[in-house]
Amino acid sequence: GGGGGGGGGASYQRFPKVRIRELRDEYAKFELRETDASVANALRRVMLAEVPTVAIDLVEVEVNSSVLNDEFIAHRLGLVPLTSDAAMAMRFSRDCDACDGDGQCEYCSVEFHLAVRCDADQTLDVTSADLRSTDPKVCPVDVARALDADPTSYDSTAADQRGIIIVKLRRGQELRLRAIARKGIGKDHAKWSPAATVTFMYEPSIHINEEMMETLTLEEKSSWVESSPTKVFDIDPNTQQVVVIDPEAYTYDDEVIKKAEAMGKPGLVEIYPKEDSFIFTVESTGAIKASQLVINAIEVLRQKLDAVRLQEDTDLGELSAHLHGGG
Amino acid sequence: MNAPDRYERFVVPEGTKKVSYERDTKIVNAASFTIEREDHTIGNILRMQLHRDPNVLFAGYKLPHPLQYKIIVRIHTTSQSSPTQAYNQAIDDLDKELQHLKKAFESGFMLLQSVVEEERRKNKKIIWFKTQEHDALCAVL
Ligand SMILES: [Zn+2]
Repeated sequence: GGGGGGGGGASYQRFPKVRIRELRDEYAKFELRETDASVANALRRVMLAEVPTVAIDLVEVEVNSSVLNDEFIAHRLGLVPLTSDAAMAMRFSRDCDACDGDGQCEYCSVEFHLAVRCDADQTLDVTSADLRSTDPKVCPVDVARALDADPTSYDSTAADQRGIIIVKLRRGQELRLRAIARKGIGKDHAKWSPAATVTFMYEPSIHINEEMMETLTLEEKSSWVESSPTKVFDIDPNTQQVVVIDPEAYTYDDEVIKKAEAMGKPGLVEIYPKEDSFIFTVESTGAIKASQLVINAIEVLRQKLDAVRLQEDTDLGELSAHLHGGG
Repeated sequence: MNAPDRYERFVVPEGTKKVSYERDTKIVNAASFTIEREDHTIGNILRMQLHRDPNVLFAGYKLPHPLQYKIIVRIHTTSQSSPTQAYNQAIDDLDKELQHLKKAFESGFMLLQSVVEEERRKNKKIIWFKTQEHDALCAVL
């Protein structure tokens, strides 16, 4: 039997390279090189569905005389993104022993209260800014952002800081509830996904056959350049040469290749995806920063891999199978 | 009312092993690993990493059914190795690759953020800049 943690085996490990192109709190664009599509795709999948956040999961309605029913409001509350920097360290309610999976203790949950009543003739908006958190670390992301920008001038009624609308109340209507936010993952319900979008593309490698290109007239060149639905090529006004101006604008549509063939110039351009180079864009919902989303995804993927290691008893099973003639 | 709990998709039921292992009865150095509550994320990276091992003659995985939340990884190796050895090696190598990747991202993000902080102290407006090491454009409000 093999056994042992790969002891003595040669390593076939890769050392991927990263180049960050653009970084904002909620957006990241980077290049990932010297790895394969399986790793790129695993990262994308984990960012979308397995990096944990905190979201409202249980709602107890005390009073609801609004036009929306309780379930409708509970669903909307669940979709409000909450600041989730604490999520990685939190417990899932289902394996929290401090509250026996009840899901109402400080290790696995955060309590919110909401109480709004309309007593004016004007319609009153109930928004995410009306949610009162019992834990300052966990609150609606739009409220956190406004507070972060200028804590002194935060005004929940100002038009640009109004928060996410949950329901509208008319005179005499009221909404009063208690909500429990819990740690979860997008695989369970999309409300826990920290990612708005995660995409990657293969970096294209574009080679123009310069010799063949020079057999084309300027009109032919320009009609070939125009055949691309996205602006990948252009003509240098000085040299009248066809140049690649934006390789990443290429959508692998094959239009320029078909055009070259139609013009009787097959092989005018060769375009192939670099199998080990990826361009990622990551957009976060604001629950965690885009940079943190990437880091957490790597950590979650490592934890997942660790969980699928063969355990001692698995190896023993193999040994006993061996002793009993291979079953 | 009788819908199964959503967490059944990713929580291993009590009394069930995360990974079980069954040797092939007809072929030497061949085995199937059944991994509970995993999908293409783990299946595909394991398979591709196993393909990098020259002692692995065959490595493949399948998700038998979308409502059976498990994958089956099949490995056939030369006599120089064994399915378990190749399996463990693939996990170790992937883990090291991810550790390396995490460090690369952390240093990249940290560098950008420190430059941003410095620029922000100088003037509070939106800034665009290029760093030497990362040649990156970065804007922070
Ligand atoms: Zn608890």
